[in-house]
Amino acid sequence: MHIPDGFLNNNLAGGLLAGAVVALGYCLSKILKTITVFVGAIADNVSETTIGSQSFGLSENIGKYFQRLASIALWVFAFQMFNIPVKSATSSHLLGGVFASVLAGPFAGFTIMSFILIIQSLFFTDGGLLALGANIINMAFIGSFLSYYAYKAFSKKSRYLGIFAACFFSVMAASLACLIELGLSGSIAFSTAFKNMMSLHLGAACLETLITLALLKIFRNINGESNE
Amino acid sequence: MNKKIFAFVIPIFAALLASLFASKLPDALETVAINYGFANKAKETSSLFSGYSFPFVENHYASTFLAGLIGLALLYTLFKIITSIIKHLAK
Repeated sequence: MHIPDGFLNNNLAGGLLAGAVVALGYCLSKILKTITVFVGAIADNVSETTIGSQSFGLSENIGKYFQRLASIALWVFAFQMFNIPVKSATSSHLLGGVFASVLAGPFAGFTIMSFILIIQSLFFTDGGLLALGANIINMAFIGSFLSYYAYKAFSKKSRYLGIFAACFFSVMAASLACLIELGLSGSIAFSTAFKNMMSLHLGAACLETLITLALLKIFRNINGESNE
Repeated sequence: MNKKIFAFVIPIFAALLASLFASKLPDALETVAINYGFANKAKETSSLFSGYSFPFVENHYASTFLAGLIGLALLYTLFKIITSIIKHLAK
C-alpha cells in the first residue's frame, strides 16, 4: 500500500507530509513524557528497580524500553518484506500497525511505523519521498494509532475479536484513505476504483489478522509476557 | 540461553525466508494502478537499495537478503540513536 511519488499531487502530498511531521513530533514527546514519569516514579520509590537478580537504574530502564520498541520495529520491517500472493495476480504483505500498537500502545506504535516507513522510503524506494507523509498518515496514523482504539473497543468482549476488528479496520480504512488521496489528486475517480480497491484489500485484511495473531503469540512468548 | 535473543533472530530469519519465497506479484495498490491505467504516473526514483536489492550482488536471493539485513541494521541504529538522545534528555 506504499504510494510511490507521482500518484499524488504536490500540494496534497506536502500538506500530508507537514501533518505527519507534527504527529510524529507529538508522539515522540508523548513517549518521552511517559517514560520519564514512569521510570522516574520507579527511581524515586525504590531508587532502583529489581528484575530477577539484576537491578537496573534509570537509564537501563529507558534502554530496555527502547530495546523492546526496536525489536517490535524489526519484526514489522522483516515481515513486511514477505509478500504473499492473495488473488488475481496480486500479492499482499503484513502492515504490522496493529501488531506494533497492541504491543507498544498507540503513540509508540505510530512512532515505530513512521520510522519503518522513513527507512523504507529513504533507502528502498518502497513508497515515495514526497508521498511519505501520505504513507505515514495511512499506515501509521490510521493503520496503527486509530486501529489501537478499535482494538481497545472490541477487546472488552474478546481479545481475538479486538485483534480481528483492529486488523480489518487498519487495512480497510488505510486503503480507503489511500483511495481518497488518489481521488483528490485526480489520479483516479474515487467511485471508479472503489470496488476494485476494497475487494483486493479484503484478502489483505484476512491475511493481516492471521499473521498478527500468530506474531503476537510468538512475540509475547519469547519476551515472557502474558497473553493479555 | 536467553530466550530474548529470538526477538532479534526471528526478524533475520523472516528476512531470509522473504528473500527466498516472497511473491513478486504487484500489491493491491499497484494492481489498481495497472487496472485503471495510472501506473505509469509513478516516478521511478532510485536509491541505494531500490526495490530491496543490494548493489553489485548478482544473485537475486542473496541481494534481497543483504538488503533486508541492511534495513534491519538501519532501523536498529535509528532506535539506538533515539535511545541515546532520550537518555541524555532524561538526565
